[in-house]
Amino acid sequence: MIPYLTRRTLQGILVIWLISVATFVMMRLMPGDPVYLLLGEGEIRITQEQIDAIRRRWGLDRPYHEQYLIWAWNLLRGDFGDSLIRVGVPVRDMIFEAVPVTAKLNLIALAIALVVAIPSGILAAVRRNSFFDYLTAVGATLGVALPNFWLALMLIVLFVLYVPRWIGELPLVGRIPPFGLPGWQGYILPVLVLSTEQMAVLARVMRASTIEALGTDYVRTAYAKGLPRLTVILRHAVRNALLPVVTVIGYRIAFILSGTIVVETVFALPGIGRLFTDSVMRLDYQVVQSLVVLLAVLVVAANLLTDLAYAFVDPRIRIE
Amino acid sequence: MARQPLRRRPMALSRRQFLRMVALGGPTAAFLAACAAPAPPTAGEGAAAPGEAPAAQPAAGPKYGGKMVWMGHQEVAGLGPDDTGPTVQWVMVVNIHNPLVTVNEFNELENVLAKEVQVSDDGLTYTFKLHEGVKFHDGTEFTAEDVKYTYDYYRNPDNGASIAGDFTGVGSVEVVDKYTVVVRMDEVNAASLVSWATTPIVHSRYHAEVGEEKYRTAPIGTGPYKLKEWRPAEFTELEAFDDHFRGRPYIDILRQDVVPEPSVRYIALQSGQADSAVWPLLVEDSIALEQDPNFIVYRTLANSIKHFPLNNSLPQLAEKEVRQAMMYALDRQRIIDDLWNGAAQVSHSNLTPASPYHRADLKRYEYDPEKAKAMLDAAGWVVGDDGIREKDGLKLSFTCTTITGDQARRPIAELAQQLLKEVGIDMQLAEAPVASILQGMREGTMDCSLFNWTYGSAVEPDPFSTLHSEGGNNFAQYRNPRMDELIEEGLKRVKFEDRKPIYDEIQEIFVEDVPVLYLQFDEWMNVFNSRIKGLPENPKNGSAIYQQAYKWWIEE
Repeated sequence: MIPYLTRRTLQGILVIWLISVATFVMMRLMPGDPVYLLLGEGEIRITQEQIDAIRRRWGLDRPYHEQYLIWAWNLLRGDFGDSLIRVGVPVRDMIFEAVPVTAKLNLIALAIALVVAIPSGILAAVRRNSFFDYLTAVGATLGVALPNFWLALMLIVLFVLYVPRWIGELPLVGRIPPFGLPGWQGYILPVLVLSTEQMAVLARVMRASTIEALGTDYVRTAYAKGLPRLTVILRHAVRNALLPVVTVIGYRIAFILSGTIVVETVFALPGIGRLFTDSVMRLDYQVVQSLVVLLAVLVVAANLLTDLAYAFVDPRIRIE
Repeated sequence: MARQPLRRRPMALSRRQFLRMVALGGPTAAFLAACAAPAPPTAGEGAAAPGEAPAAQPAAGPKYGGKMVWMGHQEVAGLGPDDTGPTVQWVMVVNIHNPLVTVNEFNELENVLAKEVQVSDDGLTYTFKLHEGVKFHDGTEFTAEDVKYTYDYYRNPDNGASIAGDFTGVGSVEVVDKYTVVVRMDEVNAASLVSWATTPIVHSRYHAEVGEEKYRTAPIGTGPYKLKEWRPAEFTELEAFDDHFRGRPYIDILRQDVVPEPSVRYIALQSGQADSAVWPLLVEDSIALEQDPNFIVYRTLANSIKHFPLNNSLPQLAEKEVRQAMMYALDRQRIIDDLWNGAAQVSHSNLTPASPYHRADLKRYEYDPEKAKAMLDAAGWVVGDDGIREKDGLKLSFTCTTITGDQARRPIAELAQQLLKEVGIDMQLAEAPVASILQGMREGTMDCSLFNWTYGSAVEPDPFSTLHSEGGNNFAQYRNPRMDELIEEGLKRVKFEDRKPIYDEIQEIFVEDVPVLYLQFDEWMNVFNSRIKGLPENPKNGSAIYQQAYKWWIEE
């Protein structure tokens, strides 16, 4: 176990280092110069002296390798540098303010998706070709097919404009805000959008893997032994059918960023998805680089945890 | 809790005065004339001196209290004078700070911290008499030292401020006494009052103590509102400053939320969860709200022209006949009607019709594709086998790069592409982030783009930045010695009647040379919930409205 963890950790460090170099190089290769963005429109004359002063102030006049080393060294010491755009605000603060928003959104969405998708997937598999199975299939197809952007806007129109006109304020919930996080109500619509797609994907995977498990020899043997149906399904079929679901969950962590960009933009939520797109568009080097490295760490860790989870779910898998 | 209202000290010219002055000599002259004889506040007008107890609240009229929510499209990245570039930031900065003078919502210069401005006849000395008893948010008194400190800090190139260029021509800033500042110019800069004199004044001691970076996150100004809470990507919340020198603002809380998606801004206005959109909605949504009695929608003409800057240094775009032919090939009214819901005016000059320098008698390029073809034929550009014109082996082809994700303007480029193709001109389309375009156009490595930019504003006609060969934003790489000479001369003259002939000729050359394909002046549409009272009548500058928030109140 320990040699395996050490090997995987070293591999992870190598991957993170390569990603940090690649991100640094890509940001510098992107056409455009942040100095021109900083200068803005209000200039009567822009002198070279002025451009040089801004470059000096942000360390952009140093050779690239020096810029990388300074940034990487500072990052290792926990100093993420300063934002070019949000002057005076440390990048670390920007990221650590954004992470909880995205994390909460995704965790709640995932929890809801699991609670709905796993029982639905199992039930659909056990009652194949029933009305419930067809309903799950239609729901899952719609959930995957509906673009997040469209769904988000439709939900806002429905819950912010029409529901209050039709029935007034919702009991227990009250008024749902169209954007931002003025209270817990702000999470309702974004979580609904995010969980819809996850629910659809997970329900389909769960249904397929349960059907597969139900057809295996060990399930037949369990039935032959005279075990009750529920016990066979839950203890023998479902436990094995969960493996692909765990894989999908681990795999989807890498897509948190792309999944939340749209949702965070439409609902004006200050999460990492919006921070990332804003920073890329405005060439805020330090923010993009630090965020990508942080996400790389997250993905590497999630992959490791997924592999460890296999051993827990399936005792036949041994970590060595 | 309702608080007692104050009537406000008159700080600006009346509309009628201004128009009369414009007729006589332009806005700067009007401003200076008014400044020379300022109307002192009188007890009869109910003006309150700083710290004075407010008068009794009348039965009807302004009310104190409440919260007004604005919406912007992008984060408020900083709150100092160097953050005034983006509109969503400027509206917050000018509510926290005050400049000596400002350009108000009627495009007039208006005194703020200065109660009197004198400009010497040679245009080299500006003397500002300041209001006395003005307080910063921490209770410290505002003095001439704060003005000197602010100007000296932001014009010093070593400090790397992006607004350093605004101080072009400033030689020194001198404190004469506690309430008098003199700015001496090394060279005349007629644009002075609308550039450096509009810089918000910082609390000198505090700024020196905490430094620029910290200051931008926790500013202390003399403005009607002080910073309450700032979450750049979420919202900026300001609260009324009780000791503001023009009287306490009526509305208790001003808040700007960051809402990137225009449809969501529209829904938030409709549902009453926001009162105004600082950054406009989609044109069709604004038009829809114009019909709704619950909203007030202001249409103001933008200073900037929506245009295709063309890289004049490219051989295929270097001939003015080619550029003129392109103007004839573009159906600009169709672009406005089909793609902009009619909310714009075709531009026939580099200056907005709102400018007193605007000329209406210039050559016009009405849509005439046959004339465009004839002009190109005459210039030796013949149609090749592929339908694209060429001359001496050179194709009349170039690439227009629009801003990535700019869904509003991209269709304009697509329609222009079709229209130009009809006369044998090939315009390819590409997309790039705004930073790439700014760099590419400034350095001349890109062929063409599409955006809105000013070539002289309604208040100050100077187009140095965009049309002078040394201009920092000369995206067209335009070089015309006569234009350079006129622009330099225009900046050296202060009086309207001296400047007018210069800007007349500049407009004439602009229209003749066509350095850029100028399309339209957009109508900027700002929406307000009708519960907000005290709003101006017929403003001419949409974003400038927001600096007057201290005059508004809420009536449910």
